[in-house]
Amino acid sequence: MDKLMETFEKNDPVALGRVLKEVESQSEKGYEILKRTNKEKGKAHVIGITGPPGAGKSTLTSKLCKQLVNKGFTIGIICVDPTSPFTGGALLGDRIRMQELAKLPNVFIKSLATRGSLGGMAHSTADIVQLMDSFGKDIIIIETVGVGQVEFDVLEISDSVVLIGVPGLGDAIQTVKAGIMEIADIYVVNQADRPGADESVKDLKLMIKESERKDWKPSVLKTIATEQEGISELIDELERHKTHLITTKAWEKKRKERNYNRFVGRLDEIVHESVEGQFKTNPKTQSIIEQVKEGTMNPFSAANKIAEYIIKS
Amino acid sequence: MGQLFNKEAIEEIKKEKARWKEETLKDKSGDKEYFTDSGIPMDLLYTPADIEDMDYLKDNGFSGESPFTRGVYPNMYRGRLFTVRQIAGFGGPEDTNERFKFLLNNGATGTSVVLDLPTIRGYDSDDKEAEGHVGAAGVAIDSLDDMEALYDGIPIDEISTNIVTHLPSTTVVLMAMFAALAEKRDIPLEKLSGTNQNDFLMETAIGSSLEILPPKHCFRLQCDAIEYASQNLPRWNPVSYNGYNLREAGTTAIQEVACALANAIATTEELIRRGNNVDAFAKRLSFFWNLFNDFFEEIAKCRASRIVYKEIMEDRFNAEEKKSKLMRFHVQTGGITLTKVEPYNNIARSAIQGLAATLGGAQSLHIDSFDEAYSAPTEESALISIRTQQIIQAETNVVNTVDPLAGSYYVENLTNEMAKRIRNYIEEIEDKGGIVKVVESGWLHREISDFAYQMQQDIESGERKIVGLNHFPTEKSDTEVEVFRYPEEAEKRQKDKLEKLRNKRDSQEVEMKLNVLREKCHEDTNLMPYIKDAVKAYCTLGEIEEVFREEFGLWQFPLA
Amino acid sequence: MDKKIKIVTVKLGLDIHWRGIVVLSRMLRDAGMEVVYLGNQFPEQIVEAAIQEGADVIGLSTLGGNHMSLGPKVVELLREKGIDDIMVIMGGVIPEEDVPALKEKGIAEVFGPETKVDSIVSFVESELEKENVK
Repeated sequence: MDKLMETFEKNDPVALGRVLKEVESQSEKGYEILKRTNKEKGKAHVIGITGPPGAGKSTLTSKLCKQLVNKGFTIGIICVDPTSPFTGGALLGDRIRMQELAKLPNVFIKSLATRGSLGGMAHSTADIVQLMDSFGKDIIIIETVGVGQVEFDVLEISDSVVLIGVPGLGDAIQTVKAGIMEIADIYVVNQADRPGADESVKDLKLMIKESERKDWKPSVLKTIATEQEGISELIDELERHKTHLITTKAWEKKRKERNYNRFVGRLDEIVHESVEGQFKTNPKTQSIIEQVKEGTMNPFSAANKIAEYIIKS
Repeated sequence: MGQLFNKEAIEEIKKEKARWKEETLKDKSGDKEYFTDSGIPMDLLYTPADIEDMDYLKDNGFSGESPFTRGVYPNMYRGRLFTVRQIAGFGGPEDTNERFKFLLNNGATGTSVVLDLPTIRGYDSDDKEAEGHVGAAGVAIDSLDDMEALYDGIPIDEISTNIVTHLPSTTVVLMAMFAALAEKRDIPLEKLSGTNQNDFLMETAIGSSLEILPPKHCFRLQCDAIEYASQNLPRWNPVSYNGYNLREAGTTAIQEVACALANAIATTEELIRRGNNVDAFAKRLSFFWNLFNDFFEEIAKCRASRIVYKEIMEDRFNAEEKKSKLMRFHVQTGGITLTKVEPYNNIARSAIQGLAATLGGAQSLHIDSFDEAYSAPTEESALISIRTQQIIQAETNVVNTVDPLAGSYYVENLTNEMAKRIRNYIEEIEDKGGIVKVVESGWLHREISDFAYQMQQDIESGERKIVGLNHFPTEKSDTEVEVFRYPEEAEKRQKDKLEKLRNKRDSQEVEMKLNVLREKCHEDTNLMPYIKDAVKAYCTLGEIEEVFREEFGLWQFPLA
Repeated sequence: MDKKIKIVTVKLGLDIHWRGIVVLSRMLRDAGMEVVYLGNQFPEQIVEAAIQEGADVIGLSTLGGNHMSLGPKVVELLREKGIDDIMVIMGGVIPEEDVPALKEKGIAEVFGPETKVDSIVSFVESELEKENVK
């Protein structure tokens, strides 16, 4: 353990891999590690990239990353893919779409499955962000399909959220429905060589104009990720957003919130685990549970009773 | 109209069949639903009612005449037996040259060479990417030097040559080398007969790799090779649309043919756009099918593919010459149908598939070796493959009459059904923007992957029966099979040769030729002449392909 | 939460036959594993990816005849980096007589082309179980 942390401090990517492996599986060792690396540098710019399947998120991330590496940044990428609700397994397919990054130095890619746990996903992602930050990554990109609540929570960890769409109305409607539109700071119309790109840009601009948001007016960019077009404009825009966050103190606030959320999240988990542990083993609570099942005690009184009992003990 | 059957007779047959079902067919086990491998429902018994509209002259005709249902040559195998081709290729060119000579001495009537992975994927034997692959699953060819050694002492102006180039990017280089070799031996290019594979689907959909050129550029190279050959190597088949490997990767027989035909359509459109007359190149387009164990379906596929091809060339592209409308194809038996358990059973499987190819009217045949699931064929297993073909040719008498299954109610019905489904699938591809677009979007990859996934599940559940594996599973432990070992020193030999070559050639000229090619990559022009110039200056395959990679960029293979 | 098994699947080197590994990847997902498919890669990149992903298992597939030269190299590189908790398994067309040598060089198991996915899953699960007990 000491040796692992020592090599971690020395910026050994193997150590980062091991540390993240523990944190990902939420093991005891993982929490030990998190306790010992609580000096978040808070320096890394956390960028969320989201959009519907097929919009080209991975390709855009890949090209973005390539240019950032050329500018001398070190990058961490976290790709979040959904776990199958039927099998509990997941096919994490983003990494292969970033194959061109395999030979670049200073790029660390971690694929995560949502695992459908009680908000735990967002917390362990936040933990991974913190560790990458401590490790010295300048920019951390979180890439995910912005559809479910889990992904939404994950995106909220980011400083800047980029929403990618492709020409055509269908996708725009889909993303509005998902509520993702509201948290995007930059809109990208990818595959802008396809017909309908200009209309999509116009629609988005109109939507932004009508939105309630006062602090930051998101811009709309056109990219053709496969041809590397529009990537440097995106980098400029991300820089501009970062400066905006810093000058308005939102940057600092974001970090405080992130710390608070991680604390609440962990506390929730501990409480939940211990409560669950207790009423599964305690014979007294067992009889209350039986009564609830039989309908002889109402669930609300039962819950209060058990909560009281456990908190007192 | 020359309909074969009169309405009254058909009605009578239908009525009688219903009666027969009721009265005679009491065994209800016949009621379970059966399907062909491609999912076409199979009836228990076929009658003329299943081909009620058949018009013999229009639908079948005679061999060597439109619509070529019965075969592309008038006297078929009586005139020319299908070519017995056995693939060979391992180690360095010297090793393969020796195997060629062995096969030719034992009755093979042409050479067929398979290349190692670095050659196929455009790397020299001394490139880092080649490590561990040199000469392993095929022969290593790095430069014109190697081409000379490969065909040393082999009369390339007399026997036909097949080069399994797979990818267009490999094809353009190797075709250029082969032409350069002929020129060095003072053989006129018109005398070269043979085939290379040259299918952009192989580069972008069928095989995955580290570095892949974007589909549209692969497609351009595919067309460059075809155009060049049609103008300079009149007896050369510059493309063999590769249904085979699509099928191996995971498609039905219908998809196999439809994808290959969709590619032929796209090629024809492109070459016409470039100003070529359809009759100038269409007669040299050839196809490559994979035959599995569904005997009648595979035969029907062969017949149906000829019909649909004729329609495409005649109705869509207005080809005039007969040769432009007849589909010639090579068959290789289904590698993926062979098992590792009880490997000698594979001899039986391959023989059945080879017989289907013969009944389907194939122009040439390769029978897989029974040890396919173990290693590259040994000399012994390669010989058994040749012998199997010779048995079909000499002992069964099936080659002596044309298309003997014509007129079978079932086979004719199935031929119609296959043709219909092939047309529909081509239409589906074209609705999605054509073959290049369905590759770019990853649609084709998903089709392949979904099919392969389903097939694996069917095998594991036992729904799809494989003898020795899940049906009468073997009780024997693994059979001892002699494993073929490729010469491991080949890698070192190739590297040494390359080092010498790089020292002795004119490096200024090399540089210059590569730079010309580099510029031409960005022009709407055929690259073949510039590639040939480069190989003649002893530029290596890897160097030329590096130019492609740099100028065309790389493409990410979609996750399927 | 149940411990999830994370496996990195890959085509070794230049071998082009993606069918088997893609089908296997999908079936491992169906069996509840988290699968990161890498496409084609060489040992250096495979090991790097497995480390970054925190993989429990690396599954190498090859039909290209490079099993002896590239397979053991993956294990070697892992060991060089001091990693002993990533299991390496192989599948594809690999001659029986090469299997002992591969195992000696640290490949945990070699699966032939007709292996049922179930048996790969139960092998991996039971081996990892053993690891956890240790």
